[in-house]
Amino acid sequence: MDLKQQPRLAAAWPWISTLARLGLAAVFLIAGGLKVTDLAASARAVNAYDLMSYDTAKVIGAVQPFLEIALGLLLLIGIATRLSAAIAAVVLVIFIAGIISAWSRGLQIDCGCFSKGGELTGGRTAQYGLDILRDVGFLALAGILLWKPRTRFSLDGLLMGDR
Amino acid sequence: MSKGNRGRDRTAVKRIVEQQKAAERRRRVTIWTSVGVVAVLLIAGLIGWGVLANQDSDSSQASTPSVAVDDGTAFAVGSGPVTVDIYEDFMCPICHEFENQTGPAIAQLVTDKKVTVRYHPVSILDRASNGTKYSTRSAGAAAAAAVDGKFIEYHQVLFDNQPEEGSDGLDNAKLIELGKSVGLGDSFAQAVDGKTYDSWATKATETFASRGYSGTPTIVVNGKQVTGPNGTLPTTEVFTQAVTAAAG
Repeated sequence: MDLKQQPRLAAAWPWISTLARLGLAAVFLIAGGLKVTDLAASARAVNAYDLMSYDTAKVIGAVQPFLEIALGLLLLIGIATRLSAAIAAVVLVIFIAGIISAWSRGLQIDCGCFSKGGELTGGRTAQYGLDILRDVGFLALAGILLWKPRTRFSLDGLLMGDR
Repeated sequence: MSKGNRGRDRTAVKRIVEQQKAAERRRRVTIWTSVGVVAVLLIAGLIGWGVLANQDSDSSQASTPSVAVDDGTAFAVGSGPVTVDIYEDFMCPICHEFENQTGPAIAQLVTDKKVTVRYHPVSILDRASNGTKYSTRSAGAAAAAAVDGKFIEYHQVLFDNQPEEGSDGLDNAKLIELGKSVGLGDSFAQAVDGKTYDSWATKATETFASRGYSGTPTIVVNGKQVTGPNGTLPTTEVFTQAVTAAAG
């Protein structure tokens, strides 16, 4: 077992997971917070992917920032960490798929990941590769939590009576 | 010996019972926190939906400027056979660049009665004016200018006095002052101060998005979007060629 071979690493895991949890919480809180103040812009960002009708994009664009903030808060307090991380991972996979789809269709758009996004005009070029790389990094954080969901300073720990 | 054994057994049993209790507790906590997480996300989604529905009912009460054409989203200049739609945000520097670069050629085409230009003010850059929503206010002011018959003049002074992205934009007093400089009067000032056409601007921007456009300037000649290579701003030459081709 890991426990016997690497007791130090075993002791470090809850701390590593805590960092992953708080990092992922920050990612979702910032991403949602930047979008929630202008839902029409968020709808246009979704619409720019050209994957659905504008009316659908409008609903997704309005609901998404609230979901991101809620997910960020859930991760921040550390409740049902494994489930929250799984939902975060699913959401990130959808985002990555969206960016790949825009890239493969040659669309010139801002991914709208940490902004209201939209079509790029005049000289700015899309940085799909970097966007995907960053989202894969976030996915790795979610992966750590799925694998080792026990973290410090979490509601889970409190409720389950961990120290 | 046997006594000690029994004691050990008892501790072992106790430990197993405690472990089972702890496992049971973990399971209960996992179930209930999972239910909590799903509930919170559902509520968050519903809040988003509710806010959207609320905003929609606001923009459905928008008063459409009497002179607006194309489903009440644009102001027409000229009377030529080729229709040119230009979607612009008064905060957008590239729109300003396009006006400087191609504006004179467009004015000539209008004078020669070759094109009808439909200007669509849209507000996609409200985030770039520190919360003062300059894009919406300036688009609303442009609509007020159009109602009083001075759209193209006001359109020009707005671009000539374009504020920088990230600034507060021009305040309403300045918007009114610019209107006076092109001969607009009290009814214009009242419309700007009373935000008469601000919700119209929001609605026009939605129409713009629902047509599948997302950036400004978007230039459309007889229903076909005109861009330079890789979606860049078209040069005046590319633009006039598109007009000539459309005229047949």
